[in-house]
Order: sequence, then C-alpha cells, then structure tokens
Amino acid sequence: MSSTVKQNIRNFCIIAHIDHGKSTLADRLIEMTGQVSERDMEEQLLDSMDLERERGITIKLTPVRMLYKAKDGNEYIFNLIDTPGHVDFTYEVSRSLRACEGAILIVDASQGIQAQTLANVYLALDNNLEIMPVINKIDLPSADPESVAKEIEDVIGLDGSNAPKISAKTGINIEEVLERIVTDIPAPKGDENAPLKALIFDSYYDNFKGVILFVRVADGSVKEGTKIKTFMSDKVFEVVEVGTFNPELRTKPSLDAGEVGYIAASIKSISDIEVGDTLFDVENPVDAPFDGYKKAQPVVFSGIYPLDGSKFIDLKEALLKLKLNDASLTFEPDNSTALGFGFRCGFLGLLHMEIIQERLEREFGLDIITTAPSVSYIVHKTDGTVLTIENPTKLPPVVEIDYMEEPVIKANIYSPPEYVGAIMELCQEKRCVFEDMVYIDSKRVKLNYTLPLNEIVFDFFDGLKSRTRGYASFDYDISGYKRSDLVKLDILLNGDMCDALSIIVHKEKAYARGRAMAERLKDVIPRQMFEIPIQAAVGGKIIARETVKALRKDVLAKCYGGDITRKKKLLEKQKEGKKKMRKLGSVEIPSEAFMSILKIDSDN
Amino acid sequence: MAGLYIHVPFCKSKCTYCDFCSYPSEIQKAELYFACLYKELKHRAQQLKGKVIKTIYFGGGTPSFVEPKYIYGALKQIYTCFNVSKEAEITLEVNPGTIDESKLKVYKNAGINRFSIGLQSANSETLRIVNRIHNVEDFKNAVTLLKGFNLSIDVMIGLPGETQEDVINSLELATSFSSVKHISLYALKAEEGTPMFTKYLNGELLSDDEVASIYEASCKYLSQKGFNRYEVSNFCKEGFHSRHNLNYWKRGEYLGVGVGASSFLDGKRFTNTESIDEYTKCLLSNKFAEVFIEEVNLEDAKGEYAMLALRTSFGINFNEYKKEFESDFLVDFSEPIKKNRAYLDISESTIKIKDEYLYVQNSILVDFINF
Repeated sequence: MSSTVKQNIRNFCIIAHIDHGKSTLADRLIEMTGQVSERDMEEQLLDSMDLERERGITIKLTPVRMLYKAKDGNEYIFNLIDTPGHVDFTYEVSRSLRACEGAILIVDASQGIQAQTLANVYLALDNNLEIMPVINKIDLPSADPESVAKEIEDVIGLDGSNAPKISAKTGINIEEVLERIVTDIPAPKGDENAPLKALIFDSYYDNFKGVILFVRVADGSVKEGTKIKTFMSDKVFEVVEVGTFNPELRTKPSLDAGEVGYIAASIKSISDIEVGDTLFDVENPVDAPFDGYKKAQPVVFSGIYPLDGSKFIDLKEALLKLKLNDASLTFEPDNSTALGFGFRCGFLGLLHMEIIQERLEREFGLDIITTAPSVSYIVHKTDGTVLTIENPTKLPPVVEIDYMEEPVIKANIYSPPEYVGAIMELCQEKRCVFEDMVYIDSKRVKLNYTLPLNEIVFDFFDGLKSRTRGYASFDYDISGYKRSDLVKLDILLNGDMCDALSIIVHKEKAYARGRAMAERLKDVIPRQMFEIPIQAAVGGKIIARETVKALRKDVLAKCYGGDITRKKKLLEKQKEGKKKMRKLGSVEIPSEAFMSILKIDSDN
Repeated sequence: MAGLYIHVPFCKSKCTYCDFCSYPSEIQKAELYFACLYKELKHRAQQLKGKVIKTIYFGGGTPSFVEPKYIYGALKQIYTCFNVSKEAEITLEVNPGTIDESKLKVYKNAGINRFSIGLQSANSETLRIVNRIHNVEDFKNAVTLLKGFNLSIDVMIGLPGETQEDVINSLELATSFSSVKHISLYALKAEEGTPMFTKYLNGELLSDDEVASIYEASCKYLSQKGFNRYEVSNFCKEGFHSRHNLNYWKRGEYLGVGVGASSFLDGKRFTNTESIDEYTKCLLSNKFAEVFIEEVNLEDAKGEYAMLALRTSFGINFNEYKKEFESDFLVDFSEPIKKNRAYLDISESTIKIKDEYLYVQNSILVDFINF
C-alpha cells in the first residue's frame, strides 16, 4: 500500500459517559457514510448483544470500517473502534485505545463532563491519542453548549470553543464531525516495508472460521498464507483470511501498516491467543512486543448453580459457549452441600458477573442461583503452606490458620464537593484508608482511598450512589494483598448450616453483618408450614438469630360456584412461584436470597 | 347423577367486596334473560340425557331479588327437560332484605327445600359499611319466615372493622335458630376492581394471621355448637352437608346455566360469558354462550380430584379413587405424599390433610397438581 493511501486512514474511538450518546453518534456516522442502508439500520448497531442495547452499555468491542468522501475531494477510510464504558472493562478500553490515533470525546451539552469519561480521557492522553471534543444533545432545552465548551477547557485543557455542536439523535452537524475526523485526527504512522507487527485488541469465536482476531497493523502487512505467532504463545498459525469490518466481515487481499481489520487463521480456541498480545510474522520476526500487555485477571468469584440440579450439563455447555467469546471468564466445577453441583466462576468485576448471569438466563434460558460474590484470599497455614481461597467454604479450620491476607484496591472516587462528607463517612465504614483529595475544578473532587476489595463486593457501589444521589462515580485498580483479621460467617437455617450462604468478613464486622444477614433472610424467605430459625454463627458461636414464623393462612377460601378452572389457575400460579425456590434441607428458599444478603447497608 | 346450577345475575345493589357476576342496574333485562335461560336449559338437556339430577342450586347475584315467577319458571322447565330425583336438594340463595311471605309461597310451590341466607355479619354497622341492603332485624325475620326449611347461613371473616368478637357474635346469632343446620364461613378476599381492594391496598384489612386466629376460634365455637367442619369453609350438623357443594368436591358432574356459570360434563369444563347482552344474543340466535372450554386429560383429572377432595375433612377414599381412575392413589401420588407426610393423616382407606393444616392447604396442594 502506498503512503498516500495510508494518509487517508483515520483510526479512532469514541469516549463518552453512559447515556451521553456514543452509540447514537456511531450509528449516525455509519449511516452518513452509507455503510448500512437505512432499512437495515437497527438502532445502535455497535451494541450487538440484546443486553448491551437494553442497558445502554457496551461490553464487546465491535470495530466498524467506513468510507467517507471528504470536501477536499479525497476518499477516507474511517475505522471506528468501540470501547466499553465501565470500570470492570478498563483493560479492554486501554487495548482499543492503543489501536487508534485519535478519540472523539462526546460531552453532553447539559450534563458536562462526567467522572468516568474523565478517567478514559486520561487513559487516551496516556496513549498519546489526539482528543477531538464534540458537544452532543444541543437539541435539548437544558443544553448549555457554551459553558460545557468552557468546562472542556478548564477540566481537560483542550480547546472546546470550536468543538462541533451536534445532536446525534436528530442529525444536526454530523457532517462537521466527519470533516473534523479528517482534519483533526492524525493519519496512522508505521512502515509497510518493515516486518509485520500488529496488536490484537479483541477476538471472538466464529463457528465456521474459528477464532477471529481483531488487529491493528502497526508495521508491515499480513495476508493469506502468512505464518503468525504471538509473544505469549508458542503456537504458530497460518493465516487463512484477512479483511475489514463493514460492519460484517469482508475479505481483502492484505492488511497493511495503519489498517484495522480481522485475521482468521483456523485458531481453535480463544485461549490459544491472548488479547492484548503482539502478533508477528514467524519468518520475519520483530524483537519486542508492544508494552502494556497484561492478562485479564478475575477478581470477583461466585458460585453459579442450576436451580434444577439436573441442568448441570446445560449450565456447563452455556459457560463453555460464553467463554468462547469472553476469555476473562473463568470457571471450574464446584460442589455445595446446599446447592449440589455447579461452578465457581471468576469475573473481572461485579458488572461482569451480572452480565454473565443475565446472559445465562436469557440467551440460554437457564434458571440459576448465584451465590454471594467473594474475592480471593491468601491463607497462611500454621504448617507453613500457603493457599489461595476463592470460596468461603474451602477455608481451612480456624486452628490450622496462622493468618490471612486479602486483596486491596486503590480507588478513585469522583464527586461534586458537597458529598465529600457523606463519602468519607461511607469510606470509614468500609475500612477505607484515606490517601488524597484533589479538586479537579470547583465542581468536582477526586478522592483517593485504598480499601479491601472485599468491601466493594458488599454493596459499596449502591452505598456510594445512594449517599451522593447518584453523582459520584468511581474506578479502581487492584494494588496488592494485605494481612487482615478475617473470619468465616456461617448461616444456619432450621439448624442446618447452609454452605452457600457463608461469607468471609473482617472480624470487627462479623457481628453487625451476621445480624443484618439474618434480618434480611427473614424478609426474603417466605413463611412455610413450620417455624424456621435463622442463625448467624462465627466459629460455631451463634451471634444472631431471627425467626420466620409458620404460615397460618394459605387457602382458597371460597369455592366459586364450581369454577374449578379459576381455582386451578391460582394454584398453578403458586406452584410456578414455588418452582423458583430451592430446597435446602426442609426449607424452601427463593433463588434471589443468595444475592440479597449483599444488599445490606450495614448501618440499617 | 349430576348437579344443576342456575345463575341469577341481578342484585338490588352491589356489596363492596363483590366481584361476582351480578348487575344491579340491569334488572330490566330479567324478562329476556330468563327466557334465554329457559332456552339454554332446554337445549342443554341433551347433554345430560340419562343422568339423574340430584341437586339444584340457584346462586347469584341475589336469586331472591328477582320476581319469584322466574324461579318457578326455571324449575318448571327443569322438571320438564331433566330427570330430577324425588329427593333432590333444591337450594335458593336468599338475601334477608328481599324475602317475604308471598315469595316464599311461590318458592315452596316450585319445590325449593333449602335456603342459603347471606347474613355475613350480625353487626348492622358492618352491614351498612359493606353496602349490604339488610340489617340484623331483617335477618331474624327471614329466618323466622323460613322456619322448618333446611337453612344454611353465610358468615364472613375479615369484614372492615370486625374483630373476633364480632364474628363469634354473628355465629352465635346464626346458630341460635333450630332450622339452621349449615354454616358457610368465608374469609374476605379483596378482589381487584372492587372498592374493598382499595382498602386492602391501604392496609386497612386484617392480616392473614389475624384472619387465621379468628378462623381457629370460629371452628372451635362452631364445634361446641354441634357444627362440624367438613370442608375448609363449611360446617354442618350431622347429616346436613350441602350435597350440591359436595358434588363439586367429589369431582362429580354438573351443569351450570346462565351468565358466568361453569359446567363439568363428560370430562369437559366450560364456562358461559359473563355479559348478559352477549348471553342473550347467543341464545336468541340458537347458540350456547360458552367462552371457555377445556378438555381435562387423565393426569390433570387426577390432580383435580386430589385438589378438590383434600379440601374436605373426608379426604380421598382409596376405593372411590380406584373406581374413578383404575389406579392406586398411593402409587399415583407417592412423591407428594412422601413430601407432605407430616401434614397428612393416612388410614387404611383414606388420606386427608390434618385438621390443623387445612387452612394452609395450598402449600400442600401445589405438590398434588401438575397441570
């Protein structure tokens, strides 16, 4: 490919806060460049999963290639690389940023810059991306584009005065955005004659082609027959096909320096090649990979069990299928006395966990029980051995434990200044250690804390949102392990220990949490034919007790002049409700009970 | 044998808890309605050919509200078209505010031998609040008038403002008459769309626990008065069961005629439209007014049998079950029986829900159905 053509490529991503119009703008760009006919245009094309569309979030990256005839008379190739917008997927964001030269920053004309956006802007600046601000939703009555433009200048230090003022929804000024992509975002650099060096920024599994790698070619070129290898894997694959995203896959003779596209190489398993790794030509290798590669590590763990024990195999197959496209999901068979056979799964974070859970239920039609999430603890035993425990029930007996360590995170909390007091109060309850506080501007404060990850897992996010009326947001990084005084809190139902409800907590919190869990369970467990004592225990000592009273009235009191059908329907409905329950010993428990124990604000 | 139910969808006014098929403002349609009802009786007769009618029940609405000639006419039509047993139990529901000597004379001539009287409460203030059209005096007069007949009295638990004392008072009044042989004791259920439902949403009604306590005290009181519970909500003196209702609980056949009436014949369940206009329109154009038909398969039939029989204090008789289904109850229902063993009384020949669990029977019944 000649360098003049490379001059006509623009690789960029879009950074935006949830709901500020990222997908809508992407749709407009695709529409205006004529890649998809309006008839086939399904709203928010990039978010291909139902779940993404419904929640307005992006989980999987989907690049799109567009052709744009600019006013200068040249035709340009635009590669839009989408980014997920949640803290759980920060690593995926950084991968896709490294495949771009520029980023469109969408700022809502009435809401201004939001915390999460800011974090991603800094990430983009760290990757030397050219940031191109765009002010969206100018059609809204509450829009104030002038002050938002000033904010962009004050907060990020970018010139916001000539940022395109658009409405992605109604299509105002989209043309200007297209022109500005051409003029403001640099063309890719790179040497097409140098040895092949490409970044793998995503992958997915295709039933016919095997694993499809999403790549950004930095130097050289790749085509059918090229023998490729990555730095982290010993396997060599021969390229079968290369091409671009339009947005469906379209083959092309070769991918050259500066281009974004896909490679199919008969790769059987997604775990054969790690996303974020650097790809090269075996016959003409490069010396060093791109820096910044890291393997996505699960940090939150929970048990997933089929509601109906006989569906274990179905659950396994569903998880395997999800794993084909989601290398960060880990799982291994697990066995609970209360819930039978299931899987201990590892996730990137709580949202990731929720997404997997929902996909299992929706896409695979499974009724599942998810146990309270846990983190991984390091247990130093008295005999000198060291264990990593991700499941509270695997904790050795107290007498065998010398001491334990728990993961600690560095958290950045962004909030308007008036909520600082409330945030500090919450953080104190959550064993946070205050590190620093920075005023970003008069309207925004950044608080830095280190705190145990364990506290995040227990309703930290809900607490933060409710105490700041939704204004605060936060992100975090795992920073290491810290020795801590931890105990296992058990729950006994009708005298029997329910292993699926055990959690590991800090010793000082055990009493309050035990009491809160017992109270919570009392509310979620429906009354049954007999009285059910609920006890919370630490090391065999009962620390809290509640009782679910026996049911006293559950009857269709009147027989409607022979309308048996109606009576049957009422019973049927009740039976359906009962099917959603899991029997533990003699007690029936609704499946949501296992998660509900998390939704406890400890000061309640 | 079979039962026959006649629905009379007219009332003087609607009680605040009522979601039954009754229309206080449509009494002017009575003439046409009954004409159509007689027609339905005539054409339905085919379906009961060879079957003996052992019970007839006029329900509503308020059957005693309409002119008695309509009731008389219906029974005349029934005697003409059906094979009615000489010992048939023929019941008419009565509102105490709508009965007098002249009506009674017609009823008597028509062959009615049992009256079910809606008292609901012996507290006139409660009756006024729930929009009943009678007071306690009217009730006493009605019972006195109907002396000598086989009488059943309806009493409710959970009416607004009523305590256990109020319910016991109502039962005391009801059982103080020697003609009263049967008590139906229903718990108020706030149905959606009724004024009572608003009260329920506002939390003004008794809790289930409070209702259960009153129910238990009532059962005890009635038993002291010689009325024994034979079904969740029904109590009677020895030998005075409602034969019409027993037929439902034994999963016997019955034909329901009129708007909203349900039938169970030849393994089929069907229900008529609730609209008077639609009903009359159909019948005038020589069609039945069924809006729902369900064919019950064998498995569902067994579930229905269990669900219905377990409501009663007799429970399920193994021999009768075998006669009906040519299989063993203990085999067919071994799983739910095992699961609910603690709540069941099992003898050589019967199985029933233990007395103390009869009021929480749904939790048990759901295991016996598999619709």
